[in-house]
Amino acid sequence: MKDIFFELSVRSVRLNFLRSLLASIGIVIGVVAISSMGMLGTNMQLSVKEQLSSNVNTIMISSDVVRTTSSAGGPSTSQGVTKDQLNDIKNVAGTNTVIPIHRTNTEFTIGSRDGRGSMYGLDPDDIEKFLTVENGTSIRGANDAVIGSTIASNFNLNIGSRIKVGEHDTDSRPTVRVSGILQSRGFSADGINTDNAIIVSDEWYTDHFGDKDLYDQVNVIVEDVDTISDVEAAIDEKVNRKKDVVRIMDASSRLESISQTLGTITTFILAIGGISLVVAAVSIFNVMMMSVNERVQEIGILLSIGTEKGEVRRMFLYEALILGIIGAVVGGIMTLVIGYSVVSAMIGSTAYFFRPESIIYIPAGMVVGMVVCVISGLYPAWRASNMDPIDALRSE
Amino acid sequence: MTDIPLIRLDDVSKVYHLESGDVTALDHVSLDIRENDFVAIMGPSGSGKSTLMNQLGILDVPTTGSLLIDNRDVAAMSTLERTHMRRDVIGYIFQKFFLIPLLSAYENVEYPLILKHKQRDTTGRAREILQAMGFDEKLAAHRPSQLSGGQQQRVAIARALVNDPKILLCDEPTGNLDRKTGLQIMDILVGLHGKGKTVILVTHDPKIAEYAKRTVVIEDGRVQEA
Repeated sequence: MKDIFFELSVRSVRLNFLRSLLASIGIVIGVVAISSMGMLGTNMQLSVKEQLSSNVNTIMISSDVVRTTSSAGGPSTSQGVTKDQLNDIKNVAGTNTVIPIHRTNTEFTIGSRDGRGSMYGLDPDDIEKFLTVENGTSIRGANDAVIGSTIASNFNLNIGSRIKVGEHDTDSRPTVRVSGILQSRGFSADGINTDNAIIVSDEWYTDHFGDKDLYDQVNVIVEDVDTISDVEAAIDEKVNRKKDVVRIMDASSRLESISQTLGTITTFILAIGGISLVVAAVSIFNVMMMSVNERVQEIGILLSIGTEKGEVRRMFLYEALILGIIGAVVGGIMTLVIGYSVVSAMIGSTAYFFRPESIIYIPAGMVVGMVVCVISGLYPAWRASNMDPIDALRSE
Repeated sequence: MTDIPLIRLDDVSKVYHLESGDVTALDHVSLDIRENDFVAIMGPSGSGKSTLMNQLGILDVPTTGSLLIDNRDVAAMSTLERTHMRRDVIGYIFQKFFLIPLLSAYENVEYPLILKHKQRDTTGRAREILQAMGFDEKLAAHRPSQLSGGQQQRVAIARALVNDPKILLCDEPTGNLDRKTGLQIMDILVGLHGKGKTVILVTHDPKIAEYAKRTVVIEDGRVQEA
């Protein structure tokens, strides 16, 4: 059995259909905005987490010494982990794998095309301990290099292709030969992002870029992930004995800090989406006030023949709720389409779109949209129910 | 019939506090209306007629003095109690009909029943009363805007009667109708009085006032029985 006040609200909405529809569009936009943004953020988090969680057994050690420039304007002193520190780390790490890494950022040229990317210098024996060569072989010859999948596809590189490396203004730029192409790695928690990188042997690297016995990063891959904090503590105890000279991080804490950052970004973009809901709330408030002001005499009739204030309030709150339901349902359906497109365009993968933690943003956004509508209707409803019936009946 | 009148105004005054000064709309009015009375209230514009009607309709409370309706002191009642009294004890018939535009004729009549019983009418009472006013199923489905003035006033009377109130408060019920239709409406009111209702009628028209058993004339907020 239908509630007469609900029926009155439905008819009022129907009577002013266009106006109600326009107000609801505000809610549609608001729901789509917060739901899509929330889903985008969550999908971003899920996708990054998945990529990072494969390297949680890695400890990353880098120099904690701030780079300084000598007062004479001479060459800057490089920061890095020294050979002694590396030996200390190896001693403490025991049977766990220790990988010293040289790294820089450099220009390169392939044929006539220039590019820029990371350059890693690794002991050839270490490469296959944590990287997968998909095509070709790892480094064997002195001038061999393995390259990341993005660089390979962007520059159409094959096994045997040659790459000139080094800044453009240097006189002689050494050349490396592609011996292998790595499997795509994405954004990696161990700090080694190889997709847009060239990896050469440590000897080749120090021959051309210097920094012999000075490493940009040392990774320790622990065999048993449960011992990671013990190993970390032991390295800290040994290397940072006198003062903090190296910074030690493990991938899981890095994962945590990245997740936190992404969480903050998600909240921020949700807040931006929320602004559209505030605008929608103002438009619902406006429409509800118009509805109350146009129906003053009707409200007077209702009150004079014995309608309780609460019943009048309910009638207007139903009206706000109806606008909210229309907006939320349309918004929810549109979010499926728009959210999917946004996630697909921004992240490149919709693998996580239908995960519960992502899809929950649709019903959540719908509920928020409806609640915003009802809240916007509170004052107009209160105003209607507190009218003086004598004055209300007199109004034209 | 008991000795206690259905409505008793005892030295009732109503003063409006305006910026330009206090305006006394009702000035120490005392008036008894007994059950099954038929009273016409007459008076020129601004005489206090409407203020008196608002008091009798429990839409307002006296500034001083006491107003007893159905043996209850209106000023002592809560807002909700006054609302329920308006719903259950008084039936209103207005000059401008004041039907709810979004509801059909039938729903307008059913509405007070829903207010009282918090559910749709399953007893057939609304339909029965509307039929007695000459409405068939088809006409009852019309919205007020689709009805003539006379038809709207019949719906309003049906609505006023549906909760079986003791008092019918009629504010110029024929004021918006042509003479013939107005007389038909008056015949209905006379019939209702004959069935035991207490009818209070505000009118400008002495010919309409002649239908009443007695006439109360109000001038400058004071009552003079004619």
